[in-house]
Amino acid sequence: MKICLALTKGRLETQCLDYLKQLSFDVDPLIEKGRRLCVETDQFKVFFAKGVDVATYVENGIADLGIVGEDILMEYQPDVYNLLPLPFGKCRMALAGIPKEKELNRKYRIATKYPKIARDFFQEKGESVDLVKLEGSVELAPLLGLADDIVDIVETGTTLKENGLVVKEEITTFTARCIANRSSLKVKRSVIMPFVESLGKVAAL
Amino acid sequence: MQLPPESQDDLGWVVSQRLEIFETFRKTARLRGYNEITTPVIEYAETFTNPYVGMNLKTMLKWFDSEGDIEVLRPDWTIAIARALSSEHSSRKKWAYQGSVFQTDKPGIECRQAGIEIVDMDPVLGEVECLLLAHQFLQDIHIDPYFIELGHTGVFEALTQSMALGKRPKEQLRQAMHDKNKDEVYRISKNFSTDEQARELTELVDAFGSTHILADYEKRWKNQEHLLHIIHHLKKVIRLLEDLSDQEILIDLGRVKNLPYYSGIMFRGYSKTSGSTLFSGGRYDHLYHQFERKRTAVGLAFDVDELVQNTREESRPSRICLLADSDTLGAAEALRTSFEHAIVDVQFEEVDKTTYDKIFKIVDRSGQYEVIKE
Repeated sequence: MKICLALTKGRLETQCLDYLKQLSFDVDPLIEKGRRLCVETDQFKVFFAKGVDVATYVENGIADLGIVGEDILMEYQPDVYNLLPLPFGKCRMALAGIPKEKELNRKYRIATKYPKIARDFFQEKGESVDLVKLEGSVELAPLLGLADDIVDIVETGTTLKENGLVVKEEITTFTARCIANRSSLKVKRSVIMPFVESLGKVAAL
Repeated sequence: MQLPPESQDDLGWVVSQRLEIFETFRKTARLRGYNEITTPVIEYAETFTNPYVGMNLKTMLKWFDSEGDIEVLRPDWTIAIARALSSEHSSRKKWAYQGSVFQTDKPGIECRQAGIEIVDMDPVLGEVECLLLAHQFLQDIHIDPYFIELGHTGVFEALTQSMALGKRPKEQLRQAMHDKNKDEVYRISKNFSTDEQARELTELVDAFGSTHILADYEKRWKNQEHLLHIIHHLKKVIRLLEDLSDQEILIDLGRVKNLPYYSGIMFRGYSKTSGSTLFSGGRYDHLYHQFERKRTAVGLAFDVDELVQNTREESRPSRICLLADSDTLGAAEALRTSFEHAIVDVQFEEVDKTTYDKIFKIVDRSGQYEVIKE
């Protein structure tokens, strides 16, 4: 009985494979996968997908486990077990914009890829805002006048700085997390739990 | 013409299998002494959203009636039946139902269910009856191998009782337990308890697996009367189930209730092959408090759509085609009766062979009919 593992493509993928290598898992077939999206090793069946799709595959039981950014879990709220944080994929969600005082003569407008996180943040503050959903390069929105500020992931802050934007308020911090399908964790407990525990041991250090 | 998203037509085998499952359920329930009950598909939202029930209005299919009240398509059977039985004063205790529930956060929106509600029955008898009916019914429909998971609402309630949790932190803690999010469970509980209490609750997240877990927790909670009582109750139910069926049983002591009205044992059946949830239910004695009735209640609901997908291939009747013509039709119809449990189709023209398990041709040999297997 192999574990089916969904990994988030891109930066998280590299960090995750490094981490699994540290834990002495054989990840060479995953590193040498070329353009294949689905790879099988002695222990795992692994496939690679966008973060939000990883959550969807796990929620629907196609994958038993997934490695995904916490921002995805917070935004899309998939119905999965959210088992443990991992020691990579660290970043923060922040309110950022052009460093000037907010004009108060009209409703505040925020551009974001994360409307739920942004809505919850402003609701908590008791502020009424309009949200503009964008799919990428959110930093453009305040520069071109589409929005006053943005709510977005900040890793190093370089992109913000190079576009003349500053962090105005940190909303929360994230790491990558290991998630599990609700049934798989029970049905495949004997193979999943030892793997999850090995992830957790190092994560706890 | 198009259908709205998530709505779908069903044709052929899925429909047949679904109806077969409903028929088998009716038969199984009737022979175990259940009375049938049905409720209207349209109800007031208040029935499901009041504080005793606490369902989320956002996920219901709803509209305003002419008086400005919100009406919904039935999102849950248990509550609808509790409403219906609140004015029922007969001595009948066992009720069976079947039909659809509607929630926008579920795939397909419409979910077909069959289920039972048992009121005012001895707790152990009622709970074991639920699970034995499930066992018998799932055997009758030739379901793939499955296991039963048991949990109890009282464990989380007891371990958080001494924490002065406000409504919001309690809900956040319950959600973290539901998600098996150990770091969040520890973080929240640490703010409202000692480190030891927070660690105990965090460890509970991993308290799932074989029934041996109960022995461990029996020792651990030997001085905690209420928790010990829960363990003994679960053990009693498991012992009876093990005596009366060969069903694999797992425990999840960290499981928390999804709806506020659950108040005791919780059970769920998982398919071992697909992992899907075949049935779920539990005890909800508090549900009737809203009707000022003191009643105990326990029940479960089968997800008929999942059952359809999880029945074994061999349970499907074989399909037989009898190839005839206008001269041999009478002989073919006479032959039909000899295939008692098969689906028998009579055709005049050559057929797609992949559609049938067996094909027989009826040939007229000068008044004598010969049956040739193709």
